[in-house]
Amino acid sequence: MQKLGEFKLPHFFNYPPYFTLQPVRDTREKQVQLWKELILDYCRTQKIFTIILDEEFPLFTNPVIDRSLSHEAREAFLSALISEGRAEWMDKGHKKCLVLWLRIQDWADCILRFVKDNGLEDSVMTIEEIRTGIESRGTELHGMDRNVLMRALRLLEHKGKLAIFKGTSADDEGVKFSL
Amino acid sequence: MRRRPGIGGLQSAAAARDQYRLLGENVAKIRTDMMKEQLATFRNQLEDFARKHKNDIRKNPAFRSQFHEMCAKVGVDPLASNKGFWAELLGIGDFYYELGVQIVDICLATRPHNGGLISLQELCRLLCQRRKSAREAVSEDDCLRAISKLKVLGSGFEVISVGKRKLVRSVPTELNKDHNEILELAQAQGFVTVEEVEKRLSWPSGRVVDALDTLLDEGLAMIDKGHRDGIPRYWFPCVSSIASIVGV
Repeated sequence: MQKLGEFKLPHFFNYPPYFTLQPVRDTREKQVQLWKELILDYCRTQKIFTIILDEEFPLFTNPVIDRSLSHEAREAFLSALISEGRAEWMDKGHKKCLVLWLRIQDWADCILRFVKDNGLEDSVMTIEEIRTGIESRGTELHGMDRNVLMRALRLLEHKGKLAIFKGTSADDEGVKFSL
Repeated sequence: MRRRPGIGGLQSAAAARDQYRLLGENVAKIRTDMMKEQLATFRNQLEDFARKHKNDIRKNPAFRSQFHEMCAKVGVDPLASNKGFWAELLGIGDFYYELGVQIVDICLATRPHNGGLISLQELCRLLCQRRKSAREAVSEDDCLRAISKLKVLGSGFEVISVGKRKLVRSVPTELNKDHNEILELAQAQGFVTVEEVEKRLSWPSGRVVDALDTLLDEGLAMIDKGHRDGIPRYWFPCVSSIASIVGV
């Protein structure tokens, strides 16, 4: 089986017609479904949050069979993810896409779990600590996208689980958990 | 013989007729009895054989297929009824019913990908994969037998021959001769191009495009416009083993 680093690629990735957007509806639905799963899977294992449509992206090209996805196909697959709430366009021109392999709500749950597991119920942490600190190492949170993290934190703030406060500079934000 | 007059003559003629009839009946009865006896012997032998080789029949696909052949020759169908002695003795009925259900399952699961047409070889492979835990191996012959039982349900399961290959069809689509010929052509590389079909089958391009469009619509073909030469290729998942990829 073909691999990208540690990632095992599904068989369909080596079947050339899957790189052409299928004209027949039923066939296309199946095709889109497979690509959606592949994109989410890959982004999750590689911790990828943004896909830029017209830039190199390992999934969009398969050198083994010499095929790559057209812009139209890329947009179609990502749009399908977006319609399910698993991705968002980051700009109006649909050039950058934010992939949410976990929904914001799921990220928030993830944070709560992390806080409880580490006994941080009343602690203060900076955003950067959550993303890159020792405590989060080995969890889903490690290395996560800052914007996604902020949105999850704001969701929790809204629910009264924590308070976000600003430090001296703009990139010096922190949170006080109060579970 | 001179006809003898009088009532005595008539009576003796009737008596003779009766005698003949009795004799005839006797002979016929003896024949049937003998036949019955032979059949009983044969049946006993077959039962003995089946009993003796029960394990072989259940576990060895080649042996099973030969056993079926033997039964077919003498007009016994071990699958005809699930209640009969065969089923009790061998569990053969159940075996094929189970196989049938699994075949339907696989055909349904792969349908979105192959449009309801799958090569027998591929089907058999998937079946073995799914039955990994079960001890009995399954041959293509078993698949064919199970499928022939499915026909009773009128569900449109059918085995069609395309070139050297056998394909199992699980959708009611009728493939015409044109489609069959294209599928046969596609077996070489897994795909065809319009030009190739035109050339190989000497059809006008309208006929080729028409047939290919139908195959696309039916979900039996997928189009590939990604090759460097810019010529669209029509791929047929049912003739490549790629069908296993998805959803099973």
